[in-house]
Amino acid sequence: MSTYIIRRLLGIIPLLFGITVVSFFIIRLAPGKPVAVEQSLNPRVSPELRLRLEKQFGLDKPLHVQYLIWMKQIVRLDFGRSYIDSRPVMEKIAERIPLTLGLNLAALVLIFLIAVPLGVRSAIKADSAFDHSVTFLSFLFFAAPTFWLALLFMQFFSIQLGWFPISGLTSLDFEYFSAWGKAGDSIRHLFLPVFVAAIGGFAGLTRYMRSNMIEALRQPYIATARAKGLPESAVLYSHALRNALLPVVTILGLSIPGLLGGSVIFESIFALPGIGRLFYEAVMTRDYPLIMAEVVITAVLTMLGNLIADISYACVDPRISYKER
Amino acid sequence: MSEQPLLEITDLRVTFDLEGRRLTAVDGAQFSVARNETAVLAGESGSGKTITALAISRLLPPNAAISSGSIRFNGHDILRMSQEELTGMRGKEIAYIFQEPVSFLNPVFTIGDQIAETIVLHQRVAPQQARRQAAQLLEQVRIPDPQRVLASYPHQLSGGMNQRAFIAMSLACQPRLLVADEPTTSLDVTIEREILDLLMELKKSLGFSLLFITHNLAIARKISDRVIIMFQGKVVDQGATDTVFRCPRHHHTRELIQAYEKIGKL
Amino acid sequence: MMKRNPYLKIGLTIIGLLMLITLFAPWLRSADPAQIDAAQLLMPPSSAHPFGTDQLGRDLLTRIIYGARISLSIGFIAMGIAVAVGILLGSLAGFYGRLVDTLIMRCADVMLCFPTFFLILAVVAFLEPSIFNIMAIIGLTSWMGPARLIRGEILSLKEREFIQAERALGASDARIILRHLVPNALGPVLVNATLGISAAILLETGLSFLGLGVQPPVPSWGNILIEAKSTLGVAWWIMIFPGLAILVTILGFNFIAEGLKKIIG
Repeated sequence: MSTYIIRRLLGIIPLLFGITVVSFFIIRLAPGKPVAVEQSLNPRVSPELRLRLEKQFGLDKPLHVQYLIWMKQIVRLDFGRSYIDSRPVMEKIAERIPLTLGLNLAALVLIFLIAVPLGVRSAIKADSAFDHSVTFLSFLFFAAPTFWLALLFMQFFSIQLGWFPISGLTSLDFEYFSAWGKAGDSIRHLFLPVFVAAIGGFAGLTRYMRSNMIEALRQPYIATARAKGLPESAVLYSHALRNALLPVVTILGLSIPGLLGGSVIFESIFALPGIGRLFYEAVMTRDYPLIMAEVVITAVLTMLGNLIADISYACVDPRISYKER
Repeated sequence: MSEQPLLEITDLRVTFDLEGRRLTAVDGAQFSVARNETAVLAGESGSGKTITALAISRLLPPNAAISSGSIRFNGHDILRMSQEELTGMRGKEIAYIFQEPVSFLNPVFTIGDQIAETIVLHQRVAPQQARRQAAQLLEQVRIPDPQRVLASYPHQLSGGMNQRAFIAMSLACQPRLLVADEPTTSLDVTIEREILDLLMELKKSLGFSLLFITHNLAIARKISDRVIIMFQGKVVDQGATDTVFRCPRHHHTRELIQAYEKIGKL
Repeated sequence: MMKRNPYLKIGLTIIGLLMLITLFAPWLRSADPAQIDAAQLLMPPSSAHPFGTDQLGRDLLTRIIYGARISLSIGFIAMGIAVAVGILLGSLAGFYGRLVDTLIMRCADVMLCFPTFFLILAVVAFLEPSIFNIMAIIGLTSWMGPARLIRGEILSLKEREFIQAERALGASDARIILRHLVPNALGPVLVNATLGISAAILLETGLSFLGLGVQPPVPSWGNILIEAKSTLGVAWWIMIFPGLAILVTILGFNFIAEGLKKIIG
């Protein structure tokens, strides 16, 4: 087991290297590339901007030197200063990460709580009216673009019914609320964003859970469980569910990039100050140091998420750790 | 001791529904198993013997149904039992062992958990007590180092070891009938002999009836008191083992026996 | 093949109709999608404008039909690029193994670490958000799925007798890969690519909705919805119809993928 974990940890070294190389390549796409400026395809690039880029990334030096300069900064977690307000980029990101991670974590929990029971019931009642309606709804939600659903929900729940505020993190008079009032206000503001963030993943996981459970119910050990005299509920919820649930750990890990990517959209729509919206603003204002820092950091977050998912899968599934031993 | 057989199957018919097509898998099977007897249900693959075996405890897959006949076990009509009566009987009165122990054991539970689960279920004892009993059972099936095996997962053990553990699990509640569906087919020849010897020995000391299902006539002849031959869903021959092998009634039985004699396996 | 496969039937019908509509767009709606009509601002659906008009008085139905051209072609071409790159890299990795395989698959692993949307937005920030760039970027960030599938299939096919026989007869590597391995591995890739078209269309609409994709006045389903945001609570039709168009299209492709899955088994 421990050798497996060590091997996985060593495996992130080439990945980290790759992530920095790809990100570095994106900088090279930047207007600093002589061609782009000369052909002046990109009117947004002023000579002054080019100078700043050259200085920060050493664009006048040979490629490998440029990469090393950049790497030296990165390992010290120094991504430079924002072009907009000259604050250190890391500081700007650090203050916004908790909200995004919190939202996505809440979305993951919601996905899990809705999708697992639905998928399992669908599998047990395969081909029933219930199963067909769950399948239909999953297809529908899977096909609907997140930002459109966000608009629909805003229109319906916020404008028509007035249940939730349209956007933002807190109400204007937030400071005057009691502690409970504050908590309630935050929840009301965050409910729709979390729900919208969860919807795509929820549809996917329901389908996945359903097919896993159907597969598990076909296994010979289910016949054994029945032959032992276990009541049907124990056959389903102890023997089959345990097997069907294990791979979900990895799926949750795999859904991280989708969720993080989605944050750009729903944080922009709901005006929430997370790293998604920060990234959107950085792209709109061509704040290059901030863009680069976010690309690297979200990639590393995704990588760590997958790593944690893999390792926890190895911990919960006795077969994996055995094979790797 | 009553004259009545422990298990009595009359005119059993099992049909499958394959996407609208009806298929008869067992066609009027009729046989019985007496107390303390070893009966072998033999036939080629696809002859309906496994389906018959599963039907005894109504363990058929959802697309199969018993369309007629009766199954009487120890004086009870199994086809009339409620779901509770059925689950109370399975594992306690009638237990099974299967062909590939590794896939028939749940991969995510330890051997100890799986044996203890059966004991707790039918004997209503505390988990620690069940655990102790499980260890004793493993000793009974001659597993060395039972504590290690209790804590192991199925994939960590050899096929023979798993089958021993499976036998221990199935015999945990002293069933009256053990149905063994090709329990040695997936094992090496030497392990096969060990498992067969173990089964016969346990049968002698514990006193249960054994319904052994196999396609292997050599095994059938070696272990059985009575043999039942199935062919294309029908029972074509049955009787005391010696009688059947000496003067088979059905031409299919004759062909089977001749085939085995030709290669010198009988 | 179509019998008992309602998914494939419905999916093909939806996408087929959609392609006909985009093909005959100029004959279906004679109006110019960019035609501004100051007298017809934000009109609800009527017989003249079945889907209503937008803030500039443009006919929404016309804009959605022309938007379909853009969104569909981006979906198809982006996926075409992804599948081409994926097949190339995947078959190289699967066929040559060892160092080539390690290198290519590590690249795929690295690419999979980047949340697609972040990567695409970052590139867009540096390049012009032209339709061509969007196709290329989506394509070049989506090749990992097809590559992994092709590699897996080829690894399992490579050792089979007919390939060994072909090799013994002296066929070249390229011939074995192109004539035998790739065609045999296409099934799962087709399913993946169909789902990929949906994903590409969703990416494009998302990008355009953020103002970083297809640029107005060229209509795309995503950038029509920008207006839906500013007219929230005022003009429901601007929100409903483009969204439904996306939904139905994605459903169509996903149904086809589901149907293909059943055929391939």
